[in-house]
Amino acid sequence: MRWRPGPITLILASAALVPLVDLALPESLRISEAVRGVFLYAILALGLNVVTGYAGLLNLGIAAFMAIGAYAFAILTCEIYPFQIGFWPALMLTIPIGALAGFLLGAPTLRLRGDYLAIVTLGFGEIVQDVLKNLDTITKGTQGINPLPGPSFGGEQWTSSNELGWYYLLFALLVIVVMAVRNLERSRLGRAWFSIRQDELASRSMGIRVERVKMLAFSTAAAIAALAGGISASVLSSTGEPSNYDFQVSMLALCIIIVGGIGGIAGVLLGALVMIGLNSIVLVKATAALAAMGIGGQGNVLLSPNNWKYLIFGLALVLAVRLKPDGLLPPRIERSIR
Amino acid sequence: MQDYEVFVQQLITGLSNGMIIALIALGYTMVYGIIELINFAHGDVFMLGAFLALTLLGAFGMEAWSPAWKFAGVIMMLGGSALFCGGLNWTLDRVAYRSLRKASKLSLLVSAIGCSFICTNLGLFWGGLPMGVFAGGVSAAAPKDFPQITPQTNLLGESAIRITQADVMVFFVTIPLMIGLVLLVNRSRLGRAMRAVAQDSTAAELMGIPVDRVIGMTFFIGGALGGFASVVYSLYNNTIGFQMGYRAGMDAFTAAVLGGIGSLPGAVLGGLTIGCVRAMSDQYLESRWTNTIVFGILVLILIFRPSGLLGSTRREKV
Amino acid sequence: MKSSSLLVAISALMIPLSLGAQQGESKSVAPSLSHGGTLRIVSSLPRTGSANAQTSTMVNGIRLAIDEVGGQVDGWKIEYEDLDDASPQRGNWDPTVEAQNANAAAKDLSCVGYIGTFNSGAAKVAMPILNRAGLVMVSPANTYPGLTKPNMGEANEPMVYRPSGKINYFRVVPTDDLQGAQAANWAKSLGATQVFILNDRELYGKGIADVFQRRAKEIGLTVVGFEGTDAKAPNYRALVTKIKAVGPDLVYFGGTTQSNAGQIAKDLRSGGYEGMYMVPDGCFEQAFIEAAGDSNLNDMTFITFGGLPPEQLTGRGAAFRDSYRKRYGADPEAYAAYGYEAARVVLDAIARAQTKDRAGVLAAVAATKDFDGVLGKWSFDANGDTSSRVMSGQTVKNGQFVFVKVLGD
Repeated sequence: MRWRPGPITLILASAALVPLVDLALPESLRISEAVRGVFLYAILALGLNVVTGYAGLLNLGIAAFMAIGAYAFAILTCEIYPFQIGFWPALMLTIPIGALAGFLLGAPTLRLRGDYLAIVTLGFGEIVQDVLKNLDTITKGTQGINPLPGPSFGGEQWTSSNELGWYYLLFALLVIVVMAVRNLERSRLGRAWFSIRQDELASRSMGIRVERVKMLAFSTAAAIAALAGGISASVLSSTGEPSNYDFQVSMLALCIIIVGGIGGIAGVLLGALVMIGLNSIVLVKATAALAAMGIGGQGNVLLSPNNWKYLIFGLALVLAVRLKPDGLLPPRIERSIR
Repeated sequence: MQDYEVFVQQLITGLSNGMIIALIALGYTMVYGIIELINFAHGDVFMLGAFLALTLLGAFGMEAWSPAWKFAGVIMMLGGSALFCGGLNWTLDRVAYRSLRKASKLSLLVSAIGCSFICTNLGLFWGGLPMGVFAGGVSAAAPKDFPQITPQTNLLGESAIRITQADVMVFFVTIPLMIGLVLLVNRSRLGRAMRAVAQDSTAAELMGIPVDRVIGMTFFIGGALGGFASVVYSLYNNTIGFQMGYRAGMDAFTAAVLGGIGSLPGAVLGGLTIGCVRAMSDQYLESRWTNTIVFGILVLILIFRPSGLLGSTRREKV
Repeated sequence: MKSSSLLVAISALMIPLSLGAQQGESKSVAPSLSHGGTLRIVSSLPRTGSANAQTSTMVNGIRLAIDEVGGQVDGWKIEYEDLDDASPQRGNWDPTVEAQNANAAAKDLSCVGYIGTFNSGAAKVAMPILNRAGLVMVSPANTYPGLTKPNMGEANEPMVYRPSGKINYFRVVPTDDLQGAQAANWAKSLGATQVFILNDRELYGKGIADVFQRRAKEIGLTVVGFEGTDAKAPNYRALVTKIKAVGPDLVYFGGTTQSNAGQIAKDLRSGGYEGMYMVPDGCFEQAFIEAAGDSNLNDMTFITFGGLPPEQLTGRGAAFRDSYRKRYGADPEAYAAYGYEAARVVLDAIARAQTKDRAGVLAAVAATKDFDGVLGKWSFDANGDTSSRVMSGQTVKNGQFVFVKVLGD
């Protein structure tokens, strides 16, 4: 049989080519740096997709785990702390740390259903931010922790100027996460997740240990989100401030998976591209183009293109779900069940 | 101030704030009760109501009115904002939610998030109106002063405990509204239809209830409650801004869930609890930990009562 | 399905090929270093969301400075771009966007000046990037001391922001350590003995409140409370009751209009507090008075500012005030003055630069000496900080800021 690439392969293959395309474009049209942001959000959204897409548990606090990953990475590597274990060990450690945090949140809340669970995760997101802000002797509060190391290859420490390197490092991480999630999806555990999403009671009577399976969904999602946090802190060489990981980030991740097509990997990838691409590529370039044409900047509030960003972003969300209620690329499994 | 005076004062503050949260939460919980949508746009509809109230206040120059006329002015703002927010909420349902009734709940949620962004942006534009009350609209994004048209004198005279007209106004507006709402839901024909749709919309439809119209009315009433709340909020806090919907919505959502989402008395109880916990935490602990404490208590309560304080214990999907 | 995915794959492969042909062409667009080319200045400020009001006046100031020189210096055309370092989903500065802006500016060799950032946290992201690129960065708003001053922040600051070892970051605003201390001194001279300190738990507000507290204790004021507030809270009535119960005669708030300085003023008055209220330059803008309402501020509110207010300005500053008023129909505010000053420093450096490129402009900015600016006559010191120590104290009368005095060491 002839091999035909699926949508995931196609999306990833096109992503791999972006820097090459960029070489050919004038500076103002280059997008590879913005695409790095797409990769980060794609990793985060793939994590959220495990808990919300596969297991059907609405999580509104995924950004909290990203924060935990970022701060764990920072504390383990930054030169102002005693650990300084280096890029790779720290990045690997963000995964179990995130999983543990997911476990700690998940354990007491397993009995909760639907939107009660949603508010607890939302509350957890707020609590994590407050704790990071208030425990400033450990986390440096709103100062953020910096500088954070990148990887070093051949004795050379990467800096932000190594654009191509970062691009393909993030790309490789995304591919690894995609492969991991894809294997999970097809495993016994993955089928158990689909099963409890469809009908918890039936699953329980079929012998699925619902609590355990939910727990694993929480932890897996948290681990992936923490990895996204760790790598994003490394790219920026700073954790930023705790409010960089607020509810808005969680909401954006949720919008990505739903606009893309909840429950499917290809959909999530496409969703990240569309939503983040709209925000950090289309809107940014359009604003710059309008400014170059002399539009915007002064006087009336309506004249500044920046003041329209919320509206455009909101309209895009409404239109996306209106036109494609199941997402841009709904997963096939879903269809067969219906 | 004596210790007991401090406590009483904090209780008054907590209850006043809690009443406002409760009023917003009622709109949330009604919509949730009927279509299980966490209406993220509710807080932003509320915000636009406050902008309308300020616009009315500025357009009619209410600040200069005599006290009796000011009272009439408050009624006018309450009516105007309630109609406006109700209409806006109804429109959002018509345009952005109705076509998604059959789609997954999460698509509906994203549509609501989108509406929330759109409303926020409209609030930003609104703040740029060249009117005196918006400071000429020079800096659209800046917080706007909502003039005090209820005086801030202490009704208890020289006592260390302060109760102002603003506190009294909060209770005088919210309590009748809450009673009216309970009567509406429990006694009226529309209320019965709403409860029927909430129980089982297919069955309700088969019984001849115009489901879409009932849902539309629910959105209208929920929005109108947000509109009333926006005027009470503005008169009480005297500042409005285009981003205030986020926090108001978050508090109201928390209150609705804490009380048992879908339950009207639950939303009120939830709102009052949050208001009082905030005030007491500010006083007896540190205000920087207040948010953590509110959400910590929420988690604790939900662990022991997974359907909220007054929520039904009916299990989903059985 | 099959044919469409094939199409996608083919087009994905075709794009680099078809555009590859133009590559040679695009390279020739690199800036010519001959006399009369175009030089770019960018600013990177949060333009979406809550800081929009402040950054709009800042951008007004920058545009005014550029238009005053006719958009050109020495026959070089000056192009200005107003970059947004906030994103709609964040509604506030976004580290990823700030890094993007900095990287884009670093790569664009025609860019010779980077005005920004607004938030000190954003500066921490942008500084190392621009430092490696040797691009001068002039901030109109960052006040976190550790960005420039050794022994003020973490042990590794500020060298960590200077990977190349050279200084490329300058700021026209005085840092928190100066303003916070001056504020405490002023509080004492106003007769305060018991102070209650609030902060908004942001980098700026917390930083300045910490300094205020330290200084207040040094000079013998009693600090009766230190609380972090919630910038999104609808009101602070509960906190005001707590404040009133301990009876301070001055409340200091380290924060900005954005983080609800106006609401705090309102709640203090409506809660029956009758003492003084002091805030830093993040509140020195008309929007603060408008948010708080005149009657809540009049006579009892005190604002510190790292320069002289518009009506006290003479010479250069007076001209700025007049032309700003003429163009925008309002008095320039603290942020407008800082933005204008930052842009003028860069323009002045371009004029003096030996070579009209990045290195030339950087050297010229660093050599800025006895600059006749709207914030006074000042130079950059060895750290990149302004040497200006002129601070002024304001109060509010009849809904207007009124200059009280120059705050001295």
